[in-house]
Amino acid sequence: MHDINDLERRGIPGVFTATIEFSEAARIQSEALGLDVARVLTPHPIQDRTDDEMIAIADQVIDELIAAITASA
Amino acid sequence: MTTVLDPTGELSPQTRQRVARPESLEGLTIGLLDISKPRGDIFLNRIEERLTAHGARVARYKKPTFTKPAPVDLRHEIASQCDAVIEALAD
Amino acid sequence: MAQHDAPATTIPSLPDGLVAIVKKDCPTCVLVAPVLADLADRSALTVITQDDPQFPQDADWVVHDTDLSLSWHHDIETVPTLLTVVNGRPTDRIVGWSRPEWEAFTRTDSLGVDLRPWSPGCGSLSVDPTIADQLAVRFSGSTLTSRRIEIAVLEDDWEAMYDRGWSDGMPVVPPTEARVLRMLEGTTRQPDDIVSIVPPDLVECTVEKVAINAVMAGCMPSYLPVVIAALEAACTDEFNMHGLLATTMPCGPVMIINGPVRERLQMNSGVNVLGQGNRANSTIGRALQLVIRNVGGGKPGGVDRATQGNPSKYGLCFAEDEEGSAWESLAESRGFTDGQSTVTLFPGEGPRIIFDQQSRSPESLTKHIALALRANISPRMAMMFDAVLVLSPEHMARYRDAGWDRNRFLEEVSSHLVLDGDDIVRGSDGIEEGMPEFLAGSPVPKFQRGGLLVVHAGGGAGLFSSTIAGWVTGETGSVPVTKEIIP
Repeated sequence: MHDINDLERRGIPGVFTATIEFSEAARIQSEALGLDVARVLTPHPIQDRTDDEMIAIADQVIDELIAAITASA
Repeated sequence: MTTVLDPTGELSPQTRQRVARPESLEGLTIGLLDISKPRGDIFLNRIEERLTAHGARVARYKKPTFTKPAPVDLRHEIASQCDAVIEALAD
Repeated sequence: MAQHDAPATTIPSLPDGLVAIVKKDCPTCVLVAPVLADLADRSALTVITQDDPQFPQDADWVVHDTDLSLSWHHDIETVPTLLTVVNGRPTDRIVGWSRPEWEAFTRTDSLGVDLRPWSPGCGSLSVDPTIADQLAVRFSGSTLTSRRIEIAVLEDDWEAMYDRGWSDGMPVVPPTEARVLRMLEGTTRQPDDIVSIVPPDLVECTVEKVAINAVMAGCMPSYLPVVIAALEAACTDEFNMHGLLATTMPCGPVMIINGPVRERLQMNSGVNVLGQGNRANSTIGRALQLVIRNVGGGKPGGVDRATQGNPSKYGLCFAEDEEGSAWESLAESRGFTDGQSTVTLFPGEGPRIIFDQQSRSPESLTKHIALALRANISPRMAMMFDAVLVLSPEHMARYRDAGWDRNRFLEEVSSHLVLDGDDIVRGSDGIEEGMPEFLAGSPVPKFQRGGLLVVHAGGGAGLFSSTIAGWVTGETGSVPVTKEIIP
């Protein structure tokens, strides 16, 4: 979140990806940073997932990620 | 926390705004910042494939540890080389 | 922005009759404690105590001003203060202890005959510097209507303000309620008074918004009336701030201050007058620019299209040295008296130097200044652009010694500022830019009538003066405007 906050300050649109476990922490951190950092949440956990499952998760969120760093139509 | 009075004409929202987004990723360079958590690389490999399919170029970065913000030099490098950035994957 | 109704804060009533305001932590109040009891008995005095609720004693005629609301709202500055109260409002007051005064005020004789006859009062708790700001925010904060913005815990105040686009790039002072309320004490105007409609977004700008931006610029409260007057001048049709902002010519509002306010604000009219280092000079001009940026929405690259800009756009403000001048001041030459404080706004670029260390006669110096002024904006331009001439003390001495006044100087300098149309029309000397061809063969004055403003400023030694060139003058551009500064 700090990284995206800093990169936004430098003029670079950014999005942060985390599992749903981070949802509340991310919200609080966003408030503390004073910027509603764009974020996309994935299912939790991920460390025990197979490669295929990881790829499926990536496919599941890719549209949302692109939307977060492009202007909405 | 400091509370200040808005010095503006109050014509725009008070929260800090995200920077303007490009309309599409076509021809842009997207940075993928790996926060160095296990299996994040598999996820980002797939994201790279999908972004490339959308016409974007992808540059990969990895920060030394997920426990700290990325070093200033790395953030500067990303900012000077990329048009947008995706950071992944915290769990 | 909507206009707001008068503040809803209600002023708490005092008990009618004779009232004394005291605190135990004041030797004079302790000294007069027996007198208070005596007056409670003989004249139905009510005592309002600021600190110890049982001072001077535990009695039904003692009221505790728990939150200092009574003391604050009724402007108690000293304890003890004796008040006559009618319908909850004080109609008369005396402060400190003086037997004859107290006896006259209360129409009671033989008060405190054992006490020494006189003792000065102490500061009221409600004006204690450590809590006065909190009280102001508590009791009059609600009169401020601007949106409150909370800077997040992990944000740095300054970074947060910069990120919101509120700064010219230099640090700004966080406009907290306490600071803004203090700033507003610099004017008699109400916070919700509309000062001007500020371009380019044409936003109604209140005194409160000017105060917020003045805090950010680093002004002291006493500077606020100058910023307000400057904003009024900037937003007139004649000055045309919108056009000045939007033009690609790199000019901005330059402020020249005349009158008693210069001394009051300790403004610089001497050494380094056009430079850095004096708080009033540095922050007043900046405050105007911040109002235009923040309230009006005029930002470089947005509506501000200046091709190159110039450093005076951070805010250039300076005072005339009237006392050291042999001439009437700029403001007097523009119809004001020397007792009036004024701000003159000029749509200018940065200053440039005129170097003359050899002229011993006023004639020589005048001819040289005229030659330098021919380059104002361009040696091939005439009538379209005004100028400010900032004459230094050592150059002014040439005119004082020769007995020249302002009008004599203007006549003489103008006589050397008549250009030959042949030299400046388009295409002459192989230069495509110039004045229209029909002026060929005619004499053309460099400046329109009144287009040269002369100010005396600068300090100590130095045989240099400066000129500040202006943006297009007249109806299509901007005309210098002078406004009186009203407290």
